[in-house]
Amino acid sequence: MAKLRVVHYINQFFAQIGGEEKADYPAELRVGEVVGPGMALMQKFGDEAEIVATVVCGDSYFNENLDKATADILEMVKSQKPDVFVAGPAFNAGRYGVACGTIAAAVQEQLGIPSVTGMYVENPGADMFKNKIYIISTKNSAAGMRDAVAKLAPLALKLGKGESIGASVEEGYMPNGVRVNFFEKERGSARAVKMLIKKLAGKPFETEFPMPVFDRVAPNPAVKDMAHAKIALVTSGGIVPKGNPDHIESSSASHYGEYDIAGVMDLTADTFETAHGGYDPVYANADADRVLPVDVLRDMEKEGKIGELHHLYYATVGNGTAVASAKKFAAEFAQKLKADGVDAVILTST
Amino acid sequence: MKLEIGNIFIKDIQFAAESKVADGVLYVDKAALEKVVLEDETIKAVSFDIAKPGESVRITPVKDVIEPRVKVEGPGGIFPGIIAKVDTVGSGKTHVLKGMAVVTAGKIVGFQEGIIDMSGPGAKYTPFSQTLNLVMVCEPVEGLKQHDYEKAVRLAGFRVATVLGELGRDVTPDETKVYETCGIKEGIEKYPNLPRVAYVQMLQSQGLLHDTYVYGVDAKKTLSTILWPTETMDGAIVSGNCVSACDKNPTYVHENNPVVEDLFAQHGKTLNFVCQIITNENVYLADKQRSSDWTAKMCRLLDLDGVIVSQEGFGNPDTDLIMNCKKIEAQGVKTVIITDEYAGRDGKSQSLADADAAADAVVTGGNANEVIILPKMDKVIGTLDYVNKIAGASEETLQADGSLKVELQVITGATNETGFINLSAR
Amino acid sequence: MAQTIILTNNPLVVEKLGPGAPVEYLQCSYKSVLEAARDRVHQGAKLLSHPLSGSVKPGETPYKSIILTMGKGDVDEQSLRLIENAILACAKFQQRCDRYRPAVDLDCRLIDWTLLEGALASANQ
Repeated sequence: MAKLRVVHYINQFFAQIGGEEKADYPAELRVGEVVGPGMALMQKFGDEAEIVATVVCGDSYFNENLDKATADILEMVKSQKPDVFVAGPAFNAGRYGVACGTIAAAVQEQLGIPSVTGMYVENPGADMFKNKIYIISTKNSAAGMRDAVAKLAPLALKLGKGESIGASVEEGYMPNGVRVNFFEKERGSARAVKMLIKKLAGKPFETEFPMPVFDRVAPNPAVKDMAHAKIALVTSGGIVPKGNPDHIESSSASHYGEYDIAGVMDLTADTFETAHGGYDPVYANADADRVLPVDVLRDMEKEGKIGELHHLYYATVGNGTAVASAKKFAAEFAQKLKADGVDAVILTST
Repeated sequence: MKLEIGNIFIKDIQFAAESKVADGVLYVDKAALEKVVLEDETIKAVSFDIAKPGESVRITPVKDVIEPRVKVEGPGGIFPGIIAKVDTVGSGKTHVLKGMAVVTAGKIVGFQEGIIDMSGPGAKYTPFSQTLNLVMVCEPVEGLKQHDYEKAVRLAGFRVATVLGELGRDVTPDETKVYETCGIKEGIEKYPNLPRVAYVQMLQSQGLLHDTYVYGVDAKKTLSTILWPTETMDGAIVSGNCVSACDKNPTYVHENNPVVEDLFAQHGKTLNFVCQIITNENVYLADKQRSSDWTAKMCRLLDLDGVIVSQEGFGNPDTDLIMNCKKIEAQGVKTVIITDEYAGRDGKSQSLADADAAADAVVTGGNANEVIILPKMDKVIGTLDYVNKIAGASEETLQADGSLKVELQVITGATNETGFINLSAR
Repeated sequence: MAQTIILTNNPLVVEKLGPGAPVEYLQCSYKSVLEAARDRVHQGAKLLSHPLSGSVKPGETPYKSIILTMGKGDVDEQSLRLIENAILACAKFQQRCDRYRPAVDLDCRLIDWTLLEGALASANQ
């Protein structure tokens, strides 16, 4: 059988071009070259796969030229016709992690080529992309390279061959919300006894099923004087000006948008639409007020029921978006809302 | 309380003119057993068959799996309150026909379930592919109501198991194990530095085909109570539960409860196994509240440090599991809970119907919705007629090549919630 | 004891409890019975029986019976959580009970009735 073709993505640091000062290094395709961590991967691949090309890109360059860098790299990868795409590992390097996640997800979604990366669990790229692509969980520094490659290479081979992928604990990837069965070495009761002994001794233990945890937010006291209150609108329903100028993703959004509705009395099919990919967009696109009730609030403004509608609204897509990302967005625009003297916010979902 | 278990290893089962156990072979007189079954006039006919590990055999629909045992010393008898008198069991000496099981099969209701494959990919998901199975399929008299039929088959299984167990009375066991726990004060004195641990077992108790019996009492009419852990080894708890094959506890699992077994393995070493607490899973919410309150109360009253809680079934019991966990933790007693999951065929749905942050230590028996292909077997004991109607099966179940495409749900014991097998999920 | 009502789509429940019993018979799906219960919970009714009673999964039986209080007022958080989770759980299972033969359908009615019967026995103690 012919060897699987692998394209490997790394940043300027691992390509030994330089550190932060070289982070603006533009994307570059090196056909036939195996660079840095690629050597270790090649060793693990043995006869089964080979790195046919390496893409090198500076972290700042990638993150500051997201669209262009992504498009360019997709072209580079496509030209090499790989069976599997490997990015990183990025360990705890934040921008590198986000770049690895972004490009790996893009290769998988847009080129249909299975992709995998690796990083430390607290790398911001982990939360953003772990449900989109397989991310091997690594140590927090490059000292963990051996260990990372030992998991990354076999998973890349399996993906490249189209084999079925086992559970996260077997393969070493971060739990991605998909429950997969496998056989443990010990039966459940024995595992329960061991877990209890650890718990009783105050030692760390790992639950096999993390309970879904819901963040409970205590509501603020009611607004006493609505007639003079400044009300803002915020939505996770993806309502954006027609054309989605900020390119908010239809799922697992990585950012939010701030839009001015000064003078806008009604959202129409010609002016606004939804970027959300998780519900049937027909009714939201026909009349976006159904998700973001600007028309009703303008009426209330006129009737004197509210003081005024804030001229900016904030929108993102809630579809599969990481809770950590959503929290980060809100923490940011909540400060802006406060600074703008907003008294209350109406938050709409879908 | 001390119980000695003498295991007689059964290496083969054969039909013969006379029932006996000799040199590890169980000889079964079919006609004699038939009489034992037909004592009940509501059973019209019974057929016996033998299924051995590795054979191309599928048993379905399975109702119960029972391990034959006999009490050779000490008070009471196996299946107290049902077959034997109601004396408290769990002490003395008990002989076990190890490596075999009595499997009752046959349709009670149309959507019934339970597959045991003796070989092939399905075999690794059921513990009963590893036992020599004496399968009995009972046919009811015309017009028998489902309640009565369920009861008749349930009891016939226990009668047969008891008769077979009796054959081991005078056989010298191949292996002897001793299980002993002590009273409260004695335990504290004997193991002053070991954490005090109990096993909280939740018993299925929702109604017809969803019942469990303790010393003959329907568990839904019981308050949470305490057992010596050895009592279940003598059949103090039996199954009347035929729905949800993957995560119901057949009588065999009660007799060989793995949590009891594995807590005993650590007893006196890393922990002090104080007792077993049993509680139910009724559908009425006030019953749930009462039962979980009582369970938590007992955990405190017994000054426990930790418990393992196992549940039985899907949906409704998730609520009891979370209530028990939350309330026991609130008493300052640490918990580990055992469950299985219904995460959908794609593994992406929310696994449990209830959740709480207090449940921070969970052992899972795997996703029961996961799909598996079971290839055609040379022989079917029971009937495949109903396979399309069993839990987890769907319209595309029966494939053109005779194989079955089903969810793990249909396999007896696949995601058992006492942790009986090694299946798990992440 | 507060006034109660049984929501059901099971004709056997109507038959067994007879005329005059506090039963609202709904000609609808299993899930719709749950949704009807949710609507009442939104108005302040409390669940008295578990909406996922029985190990016969949603999609495997067409019948569901639930006991609730008639009360109106503040929403009971536990009831809301249980009914919402039950409705969510419906999506996890394959729908196939619509292909049952008539005899199996009768078995489903019986099981649903016996589950309810157990709850009623507790309610009337």
